[in-house]
Amino acid sequence: MANKVITLNTKNRRLMIHETVTSYLFLAPFLLFFVMFVLYPMFMCVYTSFFDATMGREDVFIGFANYKTLFNDPVFWTALKNTMVIVIVSVPITCIFSLWVATVISKMPVVATSAFRCIFYLPVVTGSVAVTVVWKWMFNNYYGIFNYLGQNMGLIDKNINWLGDEKYALGCIILILLTTSVGQPIVLYVSALDNVDKSLVEAAEVDGATEMQAFWKIKWPQMMPTTLYILVITTINSFQCFALIQLLTSGGPNNSTMTIMYYIYYNAFKLYKYGYGNAMGVILAIIIAILSAVQFKAGQEK
Amino acid sequence: MKKFLALLLALIMVFSLAACSVEKAEEPAPAPAAPAEDAAPVEEAAPAAVTELTLWTYPIGGWGNQETVDALMADFEAATGIKVSVEYLNYTDGDDKVNTAIEAGAAPDLIMEGPERLVANWGAKGKMVNIADLFDATDLEELNPATVAACFADDATAYEYPLVMTAHCMAINKTVFEAADALQYLNVETRTWNSTEDFLKAVAAVNEYTGKQVGAVFCAGQGGDQGTRALVNNLNGGTFTNAEHTAYTWDSAENVAALQTLVDAEGIEFDAGIVGGDEIALFYNGTLNMAFCWNIAQQLNPNTADTGAGLTASGDEILFMAFPSDSVPQLCGGIWGFGIFDNGDAARIDAAKTFIKYFCDSEATADAVKAANYFAVRDTAEGADLTGIWADNAIMNEYNVLMPMLGDYYQVAAGWAEARTAWWNMLQAVGSGADITESVATYAAQANAAAGA
Repeated sequence: MANKVITLNTKNRRLMIHETVTSYLFLAPFLLFFVMFVLYPMFMCVYTSFFDATMGREDVFIGFANYKTLFNDPVFWTALKNTMVIVIVSVPITCIFSLWVATVISKMPVVATSAFRCIFYLPVVTGSVAVTVVWKWMFNNYYGIFNYLGQNMGLIDKNINWLGDEKYALGCIILILLTTSVGQPIVLYVSALDNVDKSLVEAAEVDGATEMQAFWKIKWPQMMPTTLYILVITTINSFQCFALIQLLTSGGPNNSTMTIMYYIYYNAFKLYKYGYGNAMGVILAIIIAILSAVQFKAGQEK
Repeated sequence: MKKFLALLLALIMVFSLAACSVEKAEEPAPAPAAPAEDAAPVEEAAPAAVTELTLWTYPIGGWGNQETVDALMADFEAATGIKVSVEYLNYTDGDDKVNTAIEAGAAPDLIMEGPERLVANWGAKGKMVNIADLFDATDLEELNPATVAACFADDATAYEYPLVMTAHCMAINKTVFEAADALQYLNVETRTWNSTEDFLKAVAAVNEYTGKQVGAVFCAGQGGDQGTRALVNNLNGGTFTNAEHTAYTWDSAENVAALQTLVDAEGIEFDAGIVGGDEIALFYNGTLNMAFCWNIAQQLNPNTADTGAGLTASGDEILFMAFPSDSVPQLCGGIWGFGIFDNGDAARIDAAKTFIKYFCDSEATADAVKAANYFAVRDTAEGADLTGIWADNAIMNEYNVLMPMLGDYYQVAAGWAEARTAWWNMLQAVGSGADITESVATYAAQANAAAGA
């Protein structure tokens, strides 16, 4: 009897080892990729931020000098302020608008729901360069459609240089960002609404709950994981706003659309100040990490 | 534990999104010493081991066109047995691609661009091969001295061998100027303005006639900024750098006065929403009647409406012009040629030198120049006469009138990348109403700090 138990245990252990090894073998390609293209660059980013690293000469260890320079760089603070404005404005609007659109279209017939999902998702799958070129044309100072409509409707006296005037440029960037950001949240919210337990909603309605009460008390709590995911992703995307800036304004006019991501790119790849650019990358990562952690914490509490 | 794992994964996610991947900068490889003997003649066979080279080219006229370049490369392969793989870069992200390739140790053998990149940037960073040995005594006699000076980092170090050059200029809509009676303010034969005052009178006349903006001081980015630099520098006789190219001088009283003149001019607006390419499009479509970003490539372009070279989309005649000046205009030059990246393979470097001599100093040079749609940097190449290669092209012949006005090639000054950014940022500040003297001083100081001046 004892021998039989020992044999079984040995067999189980062998099976477990075999399964574990097999699992790791399956995981190995991705892990290798993850280490090479995620962990290693992350480590190098932090490491290089302590060096005066520039193309064409040996890196020089300078401790926290890049960080000191950074905190005394007025353009960095402008970029940080602009980035925060983009995040603070675009994240709530994206989430609220997406939720509203998803709520409305999820009540429509299946064909209409699918059609609207496609329409709102189009800017996401369209190349960012193509989208940006179209927006650039619409905002054109000389023959853009916004100036044309504004003048014809009597809203403006003369053409506005939307992207060339610091009063409007950042607003234009946020508007474009919103149109390209809502597609994915809408699709996610529609799916989340479909997955809400209908029997609970029906029971609430039988008990006399209004549509709003059913939404906030039953649907909304069940959509919290989706909302949390959308919040985190939208926040990160807003922090990472780069292509629009590069293609439309290069951070101008007068740094009014300069974002941290664009400033990192400018320092690292235009001026070859890799160490300085990476110091900014580290700061940005810390800010995003803190915000994401707060969002996760808040989401879990709810 | 699950919460900890979730937080850890979230941190990894945001770090990976924000992280900027970098490679440790390599120690600059010392440029090889220039051998004393003259460069190998074109006919000499390349080292047997090298049968393929890589060339990355920016869109320098037809050198950005695959069909044109394929024909040139086929001729080269037939003559030398070396096959050349070509990659076409653009000015939007071309520098990023090259920098990434350099950092990854995957730079091409050859690159085609100007001294501001090949000499002042990659050359200065030790990434290029010293090709001073390619300039023999005959070459130094044949080549335009200004182009030679721009290609040499010092007396014994050259990072570029020049092929073509041009003078950047401005353009006006001649048809509209004629209708506005503004042609009286310029000399159509010499393509110069009678005076800076007459330039302003012409702008005012066209502005009054059309009732709209005439020209734009574009400053959304660095694209085409040679035009705004030349405009400002010429108006009052200012300069962009000192003669030694060691300091930026655009905070001088002359340049401040020129900027004030432009701010005050009716019909000229500072536009932080467009760059040079946008301005050209606006000029072609008739929105603007003056373009400050122009050169022979634009003059030869039949435009998107295909109305023909030297015409706008509506068929108005385009007149290329020197920038307004009270003395001889100093036009910003464009010089383009080839450089060799130092990939540490002597055989490939020798083959790349064969490529350069073939296209820049042989009977094949005429075709290489014509492909670029610019002017040859020399009158003869290994005995082949290059003076008549544009004899059959009236526009190119006309454009020759500007070539003696080529000014100092200051784009090789230290801190050039920062200086360019500071320039258009300064224009944005001035255009938005900031104090001119203060803005110019602030941004010139940034440029000079980068130059170590």
